[in-house]
Amino acid sequence: MKADARTATGSIESCAPRGAADFCLSCMLTSGALLAAVIASFAYLDIDFGSLFSGESAASMAGFVGSFFPPDLDPAFLRKAAYGAVQTFAVAMIGTLLAAAAGLLIALPASGRHGLAASRMSRFILNLLRSVPELVWATLMVLAAGLGPFAGTLALALHTTGVLGRLFAEAIENAPRLPEQSLRDAGCVGVPAFVYGTLPLVWTQCVAYGFYRLEMNIRMATVLGFVGAGGLGQMLYFHLSIFQQAQAATVLIAMFILVLVVDFLSDRLRARMARG
Amino acid sequence: MSFDLKQVGLTHGNGFRALHGISLRVGRAERAAVIGPSGAGKTSLIRLLGTALRPSEGRLDLLGDNPWQQPAGKLRALRTRIGTIHQSPPIPPRLRVITAILAGRLGVWPAWRGLLSLLYPADIAGAEAVLARFDLADRLFDRCDRLSGGQLQRVGIARVLYQQPDLILADEPVSALDPALADAALGELVSESERRQATLFASLHAVDLALKWFPRIIGLRAGEVVFDLPTARVSDTMLSELYAAEGGVLPTQANPRAPVRDPGEARMDIGPQKIVKLDACRGR
Repeated sequence: MKADARTATGSIESCAPRGAADFCLSCMLTSGALLAAVIASFAYLDIDFGSLFSGESAASMAGFVGSFFPPDLDPAFLRKAAYGAVQTFAVAMIGTLLAAAAGLLIALPASGRHGLAASRMSRFILNLLRSVPELVWATLMVLAAGLGPFAGTLALALHTTGVLGRLFAEAIENAPRLPEQSLRDAGCVGVPAFVYGTLPLVWTQCVAYGFYRLEMNIRMATVLGFVGAGGLGQMLYFHLSIFQQAQAATVLIAMFILVLVVDFLSDRLRARMARG
Repeated sequence: MSFDLKQVGLTHGNGFRALHGISLRVGRAERAAVIGPSGAGKTSLIRLLGTALRPSEGRLDLLGDNPWQQPAGKLRALRTRIGTIHQSPPIPPRLRVITAILAGRLGVWPAWRGLLSLLYPADIAGAEAVLARFDLADRLFDRCDRLSGGQLQRVGIARVLYQQPDLILADEPVSALDPALADAALGELVSESERRQATLFASLHAVDLALKWFPRIIGLRAGEVVFDLPTARVSDTMLSELYAAEGGVLPTQANPRAPVRDPGEARMDIGPQKIVKLDACRGR
């Protein structure tokens, strides 16, 4: 390629690399600045990795980790953990489902189908929902709806609506217009025209986005329990705060298995949809 | 009377004058073909008649009404009576053939019936019957992205026949079909128009097909009607004048693309194109 360009005309030669000196200056300046920033950060934050690796702290760490073992495998407690896992899964599932429905509804005006004013307005709502993190929503919802999985579900649904709504709106905006337009030109009204003309073009992409968010929401739902939104997270917080490490270990393992299983299933489903 | 244009002009948003001074009158159950070199305004004319575009000047009368003076409800009702066959069928690839065809009647069906039909097809027999006319009945439940380009184009035609419009507009409806299939598909369109007394107005690239199937030929060039005559009175001179800009060679089924310019000239063009490769090293 380079040889081609050189032989073609003389004027091109000037933009070929002039050797090592040509790029080293900017590289060195950039890496120098980066290094200085890292060193300054360490100094500012007072991070002392030395104490992390001293023999004394190693012993106390080993003691702490050891206190988690063996996990509590009492059948009664396992049942409780399983119940928590199901609750966490349900929170993520319903939260994502509500968010997908609401997201699609808001995505329609946000994609610019109903005029500029409606598009600006709904995009503002989506941005607002999205810019507030799930944990903040959860804290607000616990205040509004009380402790428990209902608050967690609402929190996930609100944030995810913002995320999915924006993704759906972009998918709809980028889909070819002609299929739906041709149906409208044949006298078809709005809803069926969208369902027959545009939805089939964006459906798989939207479902894949939904599954992806479900995976993230499972992990998020476990965290939300910490602020009182139910499920495994709430159990973990409870047992950790009264120093029942064995029970906490069981809950952590349950979280791990739940995330693994959902990620695996959702991966398989998404791959299958991409193929079909 | 099916449609009546008086001094109709169309200027696109970018200022390009696609059509001007078009006066055309086509009666009920009449069949007319519009031919002309590429860029003559054939597609614009079809889109104008399909109420997809609004004329910028002149008077347009469609199936007895001026569509752009109707309230929304009446315009929608008018549109259900107009079926447009597009050159590349506007069908989402993941749709099943039967769904794509049933979509033709969405304008007539109440919305709930259209939505319910996604769960279970509302009219399997009707869709199968119309598909059978294009030798595709066995593909009824296939997905549209499993079809070839020619098969999809025939599904697009079948959808419009299923719509049962009073005015069938067709924009190069058989461009993706081989000569035998193109002939058969046009034959089906013509027999549908005869059977249901529907008007058929088609733009065609292949002049021989237009002359064979249509009793009336409209020559369009640079957005103006050059001639509008019964087929018997269209002479070879008129045709070669119409296609003068394409070297006077008539596009036909056997020779679909008339040469744009003389081959010697085209070869000379290759020279300078090869040299300029500035962009390749600009992104360094």
